[in-house]
Amino acid sequence: MSIFRILTSSIGKKVLMAITGLLLSFFMVFHLFGNLFLFVSEQAFNSYVEKLNYFKPLVRVAEFFLLLFVFSHAYTGISLWWSNRKAKQKSGSYSKTNTSQAARTASITGSFVFIFLITHWATFWYKFNFEHPESYYQVVLGNEVGFGNPFFSVFYIVAIALLGYHLKHGFLSAGQTLGIKGTKYEKIYVGVSSLFWLWIPLGFISIPLWFGFIKQVVSP
Amino acid sequence: MNINLKIWRQKDKKDKGRFKAYKLQNIDPNISFLEMLDILNNRLIKEKLEPVAFDHDCREGICGSCGFMINGQPHGPQKATTVCQLHMRSFNDEDEILLEPFRANSFKVVKDLSVDRTAFDRIISSGGFVSVDTGKAEEANSTVIEKSNADEAFLSAACIGCGACVAACKNSSAMLFTAAKVSQFTLLPQGEPEQKERVQSMVATMDEEGFGACTNTGACSAECPKEISQENIARLNREFIKSQL
Ligand code: HEM
Ligand code: SF4
Ligand code: FES
Repeated sequence: MSIFRILTSSIGKKVLMAITGLLLSFFMVFHLFGNLFLFVSEQAFNSYVEKLNYFKPLVRVAEFFLLLFVFSHAYTGISLWWSNRKAKQKSGSYSKTNTSQAARTASITGSFVFIFLITHWATFWYKFNFEHPESYYQVVLGNEVGFGNPFFSVFYIVAIALLGYHLKHGFLSAGQTLGIKGTKYEKIYVGVSSLFWLWIPLGFISIPLWFGFIKQVVSP
Repeated sequence: MNINLKIWRQKDKKDKGRFKAYKLQNIDPNISFLEMLDILNNRLIKEKLEPVAFDHDCREGICGSCGFMINGQPHGPQKATTVCQLHMRSFNDEDEILLEPFRANSFKVVKDLSVDRTAFDRIISSGGFVSVDTGKAEEANSTVIEKSNADEAFLSAACIGCGACVAACKNSSAMLFTAAKVSQFTLLPQGEPEQKERVQSMVATMDEEGFGACTNTGACSAECPKEISQENIARLNREFIKSQL
């Protein structure tokens, strides 16, 4: 597909949004895998982070692409939202029957996820990369920006729940945008969708829930 | 039965428009919705008032002329039914019924409930045709076409171009209409040779006409009087992606 058409046609923008959204969704799998070391032990989590540091150049490349995906995704999302606003008449009704709330609020939940990502980078990511703490485990579960602080725990739980809700529509929507409906891949695709909008978000939520409210490591 | 109508009245494109209330008494529940509006209009004409403008032609659900919003739903409450095939028995005595034109910036109101849908015609004229030689009826009958493709093409071709999909959509997107029109050709061998240019130029016209982009809410198929399915949109996307590769 020519770059020009991707950025100018409605379907081109949607395809870019779908592909970047899916790549971000797949990234969540790896991210969650790493996070779950928190449940093993302080040492296990710290040595996992150390191992990642060993591959720093590779991690930097991956981070660059993730950032690119987030911005392309948000750019196409906002640009479509804007043209859709222009297409719509302000007065008058459109049909709310038979459409899902998740679909109608995708741009709102997406914007909230963006705010969450900024916070996430400004706290954990910044501290991990620039403050070289003695124990990464203590940063995540501590009371400064971690889950020892009930404010951060609640914020994470709400944000991930909204991300799940964003993906409840987004994951299937991406499949439709890429033309999966009506092909032999539709069944598998719909089958795995709940992994991304339900199970993985639940996995992420389990961490602030457990260490924030059930078994605190560092008290507030 | 008695009904309380609230109808959008708008003189012309420039007028701001407003709702006006009308009461109709002793309406036979078995007349059609448009016949009910005929009764109202006869009364308005007798009273030397301006009748309510609304589009209609075949009144049998095949031409795509009719269509407006009834209580916030394009073509009203009955599934898979154009407003011309809707009957008053779908409503209750003393119901309040709100009538509005289809709302989208690409469908400007001409007058009252009648909107300008020529944007659809321009989408069609940019590619919704076959210009290669397809022979005569005998050739059509002797062309081997897979049954499932023929059936799918027939279902897509059932789209009457009424515009309800655009009105139903929160983004005022014309994807379902364009998808149905692209599909009906794509699925048949006669449409194949011009497929690439067709899908590119129809999508480009759809964008230029100012319709919004689909966010896959599915409101269009749910409200479509011909039940054109979301699979058409998936097919349009596939064809568009293929055409760019
Ligand atoms: C890591 C975070 C995110 C992931 C994994 C993600 C994933 C997805 C996916 C898979 C889609 C479906 C694409 C399609 O409809 O074809 C989507 C749609 C969308 N996303 Fe995201 N997204 C994320 C963050 C964001 C952010 C930060 C925004 C901010 C503007 C956003 C806004 C949207 C919008 C507006 C849609 C369109 C939904 C629709 O089709 O109605 N997303 N997202
Ligand atoms: S797709 Fe359905 S709602 Fe849209 S124009 Fe065709 S018949 Fe009307
Ligand atoms: S008047 Fe022809 S479809 Fe309704």
